[in-house]
Amino acid sequence: MSALLAKPLLWLAVTLVVFEAADHLSKRSQRHPLCHPVLLSTPILIGLLLMTGTPYATYADATALLSFLLGPAVVGLAVPIWRQRALIRRLALPIVLALSAGAVTAVVSAVGILALFGAPQEILASIAPRATTTPVAMSVAEQLGGVPALAAMIALFSGIVGGMTATPLFNAMRITDYRARGFAVGVSAHGFGAARAFQVNSTAGGFASLGMALNALATASLLSILALLT
Amino acid sequence: MLDAIALLLVCQLAGEFIRQLTGLPLPGSIIGMVLLIGWLAAVQRERPTLAAVSGWLTAHLSIMFVPAAVGLIDEGEALSRYGAGLAIATAASTILTMVVTVLVFRWALRRFAAETDAAE
Repeated sequence: MSALLAKPLLWLAVTLVVFEAADHLSKRSQRHPLCHPVLLSTPILIGLLLMTGTPYATYADATALLSFLLGPAVVGLAVPIWRQRALIRRLALPIVLALSAGAVTAVVSAVGILALFGAPQEILASIAPRATTTPVAMSVAEQLGGVPALAAMIALFSGIVGGMTATPLFNAMRITDYRARGFAVGVSAHGFGAARAFQVNSTAGGFASLGMALNALATASLLSILALLT
Repeated sequence: MLDAIALLLVCQLAGEFIRQLTGLPLPGSIIGMVLLIGWLAAVQRERPTLAAVSGWLTAHLSIMFVPAAVGLIDEGEALSRYGAGLAIATAASTILTMVVTVLVFRWALRRFAAETDAAE
């Protein structure tokens, strides 16, 4: 048994089975943000590691195949951006201005508020890319000296908050333009925001996907410039 | 199918190479994404296999970051010390970012896009 615990096969299989079960529950909840499969499967897998006394490094090695796919997946975000090029060209100014304002607000407000709690550099670096899609948040945080696991959790939580508050927030603000609503939730709450926007309206969904993809680029660039300056 | 996988990996590899060469604190995959946009713009057409592969990867993004999320197992101390701060900062920043982005987008649409939309 102990020989098996150190092999990739066991933990890859366990991760896929646990995730599939979590995904099934998530579907049954009609994709409620709080029933996200990652949110459900992570504590179960942590429990299994603790029960079997498996160090995280062993688990990470065993599941490296899954983590590896994040890189090509991020590269593939080029496809939705390229596909929306006509839209980007037509609404260039609103898109660039709103994207810049959103990217700066996300970084400054998240880092600024967390700094009030006296958090050290590595925790601040983990929250800085919080508005980007989770794999981008993880790799940007790592580049800045942050903790990828924390960055992943923070990005997930951003997505949950954005997905749950966007509709009541924009209704209260009397924003009726679905292009603006979709773009804003995509910039601030990445894939979760886009998923929620598609439930509301397909225009909002398209703009949310665009906001998500462009903000991955904008926030990563902004933070790398800031890192070079400091 | 393999051609699209090769294209994604070559872009990422080139991005990684540029990152190491320039010392930019930007993930190689993000540089690779910019390179792929450039490549698509240069050839002006998207192979169906590329759409299929990148679509499949995006659709299954969630399970790919499960191993990283499980890394929270070693972050108990940070979470117990800064958990409240992290939750408050993340929630407040998410809502504030939506407010700022939506207002700037709506203002800019009215200010700059009115003519183009009216012309259509």
